[in-house]
Amino acid sequence: MADLTKEEVKSLGRAVGLELEEPHLSEVTYNINALKELLDDLNPPGLDQVEPLPIIHPYQKLDRE
Amino acid sequence: MEATEAHLDRIDQVDGKLNSYITVTRDEALQAAREAERAVASGNHLGPLHGVPFAVKDQFWTRGILTTGGSRILADFVPDEDATVISRLKGAGAILLGKLNMSEFATGNSVYHHWGTPRNPWDLERNPGTSSSGSGAATAAFLCATSIGEDTGGSVRNPANNCGLVGLRPTHGLVSRYGMLGASWSNDIGGPISRTAEDCAVTLQAIAGYDPKDSYSANRPVPDYRAILEGDLKGLKVGIVKEGLYADFVQPEIRETVSNAISHLGELGASIDEVSIPLMPYTAAINRIHIEVEAAPMHRRWLETRPQDYDHNVRTDFLTGSVLPAQLYYKAQRLRELIRRQVFQVLERVDVLALPNSSEPAPLINTKPGIFSKEEAKARMSGRRSLTGSFNLASVPALAVHCGFVTSTGRDMPTALQLAGRPFSDGLLLKVAHLYQQSTSWHTRKPPI
Repeated sequence: MADLTKEEVKSLGRAVGLELEEPHLSEVTYNINALKELLDDLNPPGLDQVEPLPIIHPYQKLDRE
Repeated sequence: MEATEAHLDRIDQVDGKLNSYITVTRDEALQAAREAERAVASGNHLGPLHGVPFAVKDQFWTRGILTTGGSRILADFVPDEDATVISRLKGAGAILLGKLNMSEFATGNSVYHHWGTPRNPWDLERNPGTSSSGSGAATAAFLCATSIGEDTGGSVRNPANNCGLVGLRPTHGLVSRYGMLGASWSNDIGGPISRTAEDCAVTLQAIAGYDPKDSYSANRPVPDYRAILEGDLKGLKVGIVKEGLYADFVQPEIRETVSNAISHLGELGASIDEVSIPLMPYTAAINRIHIEVEAAPMHRRWLETRPQDYDHNVRTDFLTGSVLPAQLYYKAQRLRELIRRQVFQVLERVDVLALPNSSEPAPLINTKPGIFSKEEAKARMSGRRSLTGSFNLASVPALAVHCGFVTSTGRDMPTALQLAGRPFSDGLLLKVAHLYQQSTSWHTRKPPI
C-alpha cells in the first residue's frame, strides 16, 4: 500500500482540529508510514478471528501463584 | 534517622553528577524520620519498611510536593493528595526522600530533560534507562534504599538493566494506578526498582493490593512476598523465549551473559526448555501504537496551547497518536490479543519465561532530536523494545535482574536477565531472582561513583 503524503497527513490533522506544521509534519508522516508498513505486512493466522478484549483476562487456570 | 541523614548527605555529594532527583524533600524526610524513630522506640514498629528511605519517580502525586512528570508543562503542579502507592509506602513507615527524574511524561523517545539530564552511575556518558531514569540512577548510586518506577513498555525493567538492579513490572491490576500520571492506561503500572529481589519484595508488599479508586485494580488477597522467596527451584519449568535470546539484534556478549544466567537457574534445580512467541519481534510497533494513541488525548489541550513546552520527539509522538488512522489502531488491538494468546499458551507449558532484557548495554545519552526518514522511524519500532513490550501487551508480570557485565568502549556495563510469568505470579519471579542473587555476586558490585 502506498505511503501517505504529507498533505494527506496534514488533512488527518485537520480532521481532528490539529494544524501540523514542519518539522513535525514530516516526522509524523514518517512515523505513520513506518507503522503502516510494519502492520500492513503483518497478517498472522487467526487475525481475522480475534476481537480486542479487555486487558485483564479471565484465564483462571493460569491465575495461580 | 541515621539512614535518612546518610542518604540525604549522599544526595548532596553525588547527585550533582547524576541529576537523578528533581525534588529532594529534605525537611519532610527528616521530620518523618524523627517520627519513625519515636514510633519504633515506643514499640510501634510498622514492619520492614519502617524508617527506610525511598524515592519515587516524579510521575506519582505527592501531597504538597511538586509533581512534574518530567515536564515543563507541569512545572508548577502541586497535588493536594498522595497517589495510593505513596500513601501506602508512608503507611508502612517508609521515608520519602524526594521525586526522581524521568523522561518527559514517561515516554521512550524524549531527548531533552527539563530538570537536567539523568546519568548512569556506571558511566556518566550513558543513559540510565528510560523512562524511570532517576529511579535507576538513584538506587544504583545508593541515593535511596529502594525506589518506585512505572513501566509502560519496559520503563522499570530498562533502568534495572542499565544500572545493575532488580526491577519488577507487576501484573496489571496488582498495584493501584490512582494518582499516577498516565502514559498509556492499558499498559501502565508502577513497580519497585531495588538493589535486591528481597528489597523489591518488601517494597511490593507495601504497594500491592486492591484500591477502589483504580477501576482496573484486582480485588484479591496479596500474598506474603518475602515468605515466597524461600525454598528452591526444583521442579520449576523455565522457557527460553527463542525470539528473544536468539534474535539477530541481540549482541553476542549479551546473549552469552544471559545464557549463562539461565544455565545457572538450571544448576539451581530448574528444568530449561525453549518456547516460541512468534509475534514478539513485532511487539515494539504494536506497543507503540497503543501508547501513542492512548497518550494523545491526555495532551490534546496542551498540544494546542503549549506545543513549544514539549520535548521535540515527545511532541511528534503525541501528534502521531492524535492522527493515527483508526483501522491501524484496531488492527494493533487485534494483534495484541494474538500476542496475549501466544504468551499465555507458552505459560501453560512452563512456569517462567527467560530472555534478555535488552539487546545492548546502556547506550550513550542521545542529544539529537528528530526523525529524518521512514526507515529511521521503523528502526525505533523494532529491536530491543520488542524484548520488553510483549509482557505489557499481555498484562503479565515481568522482572529484570542484573546478571553480569559486558564491556563497551572500555567500561563494564551491567546487563539483565528478564523473567516473565503468569498473571499474579509476581512472587514467583521475585523468588527466582532472589535465589539467583543468593548464589551469585553481581548485585554486590557498586558503580564507580
